[in-house]
Amino acid sequence: MRYYVAKRLLTGFMVVMIVIVLTFLLVHIAPGDPIRILAGKDNPSPEMIKALQQKYGLDKPIYIQLISYMKNLAKGDLGTSILHNQPVSKMIMDRMGPTILLALTGAVLAVVLGTLLGLYAARYNGTKIDAVLSYISYFFYSMPSFWLGLMLILIFASWLKILPTSGMVNLRAPSKGIGYVLDVLKHLVLPVLTLTLIQIPIYFKIFKSSIMQVMTEDFVTTFKATGMDEKIIFKRYIFKNAILPTITVFGINLAYIVAGAALIETVFSWPGTGRLMLDAIMRRDYPLLMAIYLIMSVSIAVVMIVVDIIYAYVDPRIRYQ
Amino acid sequence: MSGLLLNRNKIRHFIQLTSYNTTFKTGISLLLIIVLTAIFAPLLATHDPYTLGDVMLEMPGKNHILGTDGMGRDVYSMIIYGTRTSLVIGIVTAIISAVIGVLVGAFSGYYGGKPDQIISEAINVFLMLPTFFLILIIVALFGSSMFNVMLVIGLTSWPGNARLMRVQAMSLRSRTFVMSAIAMGETKSQIVLRYIIPNGIFPVIANTTMGIGGAILTEAALSFLGLGDPNVISWGQMVYQGKAYLTSGWWVSTFSGLAIVVIVLVFYLIGDGLDSILNPKLRKSH
Repeated sequence: MRYYVAKRLLTGFMVVMIVIVLTFLLVHIAPGDPIRILAGKDNPSPEMIKALQQKYGLDKPIYIQLISYMKNLAKGDLGTSILHNQPVSKMIMDRMGPTILLALTGAVLAVVLGTLLGLYAARYNGTKIDAVLSYISYFFYSMPSFWLGLMLILIFASWLKILPTSGMVNLRAPSKGIGYVLDVLKHLVLPVLTLTLIQIPIYFKIFKSSIMQVMTEDFVTTFKATGMDEKIIFKRYIFKNAILPTITVFGINLAYIVAGAALIETVFSWPGTGRLMLDAIMRRDYPLLMAIYLIMSVSIAVVMIVVDIIYAYVDPRIRYQ
Repeated sequence: MSGLLLNRNKIRHFIQLTSYNTTFKTGISLLLIIVLTAIFAPLLATHDPYTLGDVMLEMPGKNHILGTDGMGRDVYSMIIYGTRTSLVIGIVTAIISAVIGVLVGAFSGYYGGKPDQIISEAINVFLMLPTFFLILIIVALFGSSMFNVMLVIGLTSWPGNARLMRVQAMSLRSRTFVMSAIAMGETKSQIVLRYIIPNGIFPVIANTTMGIGGAILTEAALSFLGLGDPNVISWGQMVYQGKAYLTSGWWVSTFSGLAIVVIVLVFYLIGDGLDSILNPKLRKSH
């Protein structure tokens, strides 16, 4: 077990190092003059160029720049945004709340509903209900999230006019108290609905096929042969074994929370980290871009490792492989 | 010889199994229609999708079956031509990812030892990277030509295939027909190319088919963010452009998005069908 944990930690460390070097190199070999981007205009004066070069160490060889970048990271300094001239870490923290609110609500709703539907389909496996559920889930699985978001805006905001199209708050609504909460909730409905509908098919499919798989295991046959009540077999043994893959996938999805539902955040103008990342990419705010990608990768690596370790702890077959 | 024989039997058996699988058959029939649409696009289209018309945002009707977009182009004809873009992107990307994945996985799994440890660790690392944003960064920084987009999606999606192929290679390594090939003095790379890959490639094929749908969705997402190739007609871009006049011209985004859903669904049905055909545990339930 200790060996297993150490091995996973090493992989996680490798991921982080590779991400640091990869994003650094990508940004530095990209076509286009960084000075011009840093200066924010096409014809910076020679003094300005010199000042910027010194400030960012651009006149030094690339490996020295990489080392100083890593030294700063080790000190916890993620850099300063070029466009906003603010510490990157503060900008990301400001956006974290809305993203977690949106992504977590969506993820929890999806895992609960998807699992219940999967359970239902497995119970009626081979019947018409199962077929209908499966085809609906195929349909939503194939849907681009941004398109579903647009369609929901079209129906609920443009035609029915019952929900707001975008943003997280209405400027005319109260800025605190119960009015504020209600306002945020109203804005939350459509993005969460999109996120939930897109993710349900994943949990539906995983849980259904997992149940089907567990039901063919020998221990289930043995229990049935001993005359044990089928409901008890299901509750105590099948469900507990079948839920494991769902937990893994849920863990991985949680890990992607920082990445957020970037596309959905864009469609609904939701002020989260995903959209901050997209803005950073589009407007070439390199320090911001590198920092968000790094934070994203670190959190994904951490959550994946934690999930793996929990899994190995629960299931001895994995840790002795 | 024995390796090839085994494979031929497998193929015959496989064809037999597909005839029982409705999901797979539905997917394949729909794919055929899509491929024919792409080939005969000029005949099926009612207008030239690149010509800017006089009437902007015309409602779907007699002149334009699915209406016109914000530049007066015929939406129906654009969707027909967009089939080509989607198919090319999906298939080229899948080939890149399958070829790299199969070669890396097969050699690593068959050779074993230190190189295999290093490669499988590299696969693990790759699988943990947030790929979508990596693709976004690369395309945004290095240009969004269709070639770049396909290359980047292909180069970032091979690790899943490599992992599947590696497991296959490890289990095939000790099979009798591989042993006899070793005894007959065939070289290691001959064995990998002639015995391991043909016999172990089936799970990769199922995975790759689903990957085609994923690649099409990724391209659509890039286009939706304004990072698509401006020189080709793509459904993702149509959704992106339609977003600006969602209320006054709902048909632009709606129909182009539906086209994406259909093509992704088709590849998903085929992939899922293949999966249940190839996985004996799932097959029992049918």
